[in-house]
Amino acid sequence: MKIEDVVCTFCGCLCDDLVVEVDGRRVVSVENGCTLANEKFMGDHRLQSPIRRNGKGWEHISYDDAIRETAEILCDADRPILYGWSGTHGEAQSIGIHLAELLGALVDNTSTVCHGPSILAIQEVGHPGCTLGQVKNRADVVVYWGTNPIDAHPRHMSRYTTFADGFFLKEAFRDRRLIVVDVRKTESANIADEFITIEPGGDYAVLSALRAIVRGKREIIPPSVSGVSREQLFRVADLLLSAKFGAIFFGLGLTMSPGKYKNVRNAIELTEELSRHTKYTISPMRGHWNVYGSNEVFTWITGYPYAVDFARGIAFYNPGETTSVDVLRRKECDACLVVGSDPGAHFPKACAEHLARIPTIQIDPHTNATTHLSRIQIPVAVTGIDAEGTAYRMDGVPIRTRMLFKGEYPSDTEILERLYTLVKEAKGP
Amino acid sequence: MNFLLNTGRTIRQGSYVERKNSDAYKGEATSLYMHPVDMMILEIEEGSHVRVESNQGDVVMKVHPALWISQREVFVCLGPYANYLVAPETHCSGMPDFKSTMVTITPTTDLLVTVAELMERCGGVRYED
Repeated sequence: MKIEDVVCTFCGCLCDDLVVEVDGRRVVSVENGCTLANEKFMGDHRLQSPIRRNGKGWEHISYDDAIRETAEILCDADRPILYGWSGTHGEAQSIGIHLAELLGALVDNTSTVCHGPSILAIQEVGHPGCTLGQVKNRADVVVYWGTNPIDAHPRHMSRYTTFADGFFLKEAFRDRRLIVVDVRKTESANIADEFITIEPGGDYAVLSALRAIVRGKREIIPPSVSGVSREQLFRVADLLLSAKFGAIFFGLGLTMSPGKYKNVRNAIELTEELSRHTKYTISPMRGHWNVYGSNEVFTWITGYPYAVDFARGIAFYNPGETTSVDVLRRKECDACLVVGSDPGAHFPKACAEHLARIPTIQIDPHTNATTHLSRIQIPVAVTGIDAEGTAYRMDGVPIRTRMLFKGEYPSDTEILERLYTLVKEAKGP
Repeated sequence: MNFLLNTGRTIRQGSYVERKNSDAYKGEATSLYMHPVDMMILEIEEGSHVRVESNQGDVVMKVHPALWISQREVFVCLGPYANYLVAPETHCSGMPDFKSTMVTITPTTDLLVTVAELMERCGGVRYED
């Protein structure tokens, strides 16, 4: 059976035009997907049943035992942390946050090691963003700064920018100008009209130089700024100012480099400077398929987008203190529930070591690096394949993902609902 | 020889991300991209193993030449191998320095380790399907 308009739950693009052929409980083929989508839908590497660490080995256990033991571990902990959430749907995220409140736990999502600094910048100076539909139909100058969409968001260019014809851009590849800024010459840089190579850590200075040029202060620009010549800066500024509608996309090249949220703040302020002359927008290239959704759901319920600490009985937010890496680095938490993420692979070693030290429980369809650090892993259905729920695209548009077939695994929502019920019973009225 | 370690996504890392205990993922996540001139200075060939060491620890990786990276910089896709070298300090931002870790690289004949072995070094217990 062929199913049309399937939503891909890999990256923040949430492409919703896939055609997937299903035979029973097996995906047979995928049309319109990128390499990442094909791997996602065609992959068959699930953990078969819940597992529990047994001394130096592992044993298979029932879902009932796994959920009951997880509830006991979380209830016994003084400082539990519930981490991940970007690889699951909004309904499960919502239960997770209520569970954190019930436990007095710290709850954090993967933005903390992704676009958390972008959120801090947006909280300082706002977010002049727009939907990807606006970019597709209007943007005649596109900037990718510190991001490599060809590798990380393979269909971003073909659906929304360089290769996507739009209402006002009938021949996009010729009509749109592409600027790529990076410390290395990526695949995306190879097709740029203008590629700016910045010295590592030089983003803030180059953004400041461009702001000065756009403000009409060309005479103060030195011959070279962080490895970028004055002539190229002038050329790029002129190209930016020539746009009728410009769209800037930025990635972890800004959020992870020295300067972090200040880099993003400077990029937003460059966008504002440009908008004094023409129309510009700026947006982060979100990684996980529902990381934007985790920020949305966290904010609806707690008032804060990530790193929310319920230890005081109220929602408390202080990135740098209540962020997962800092809490693990300080060896502060004494139990961890991981949902839809792999901190064993994506946190620094010292954090992985603490996850191994404390009882860590993982809810995830696949084994990964965190599996080896965990005490229990509970396999679940994959949202977008054998589970469904709401996700948010990188531009904030909510999209309902679809279940292609009813599988044998429970969804994240079902597991978390059972966990919540057990914890609520244990905590009493 | 000292280098600046940069990390980021690659399409192969993304492709294998749900098979982190596979040889394919290990191959990609241990691939270290270095400018050919630096390889010449270190007297190593494509595919040579190197020990990459930071103030957090050391891990063995396999070298690949890349003209798209500057001299004295190396690139490894994000993952447990690169993060084995990254410090947990966030400078009160919540975000570690994933793109600016100083490392020392020396040739070695030691073998690459699996993700499970790397996590065992962190105190975990290996799970095998």
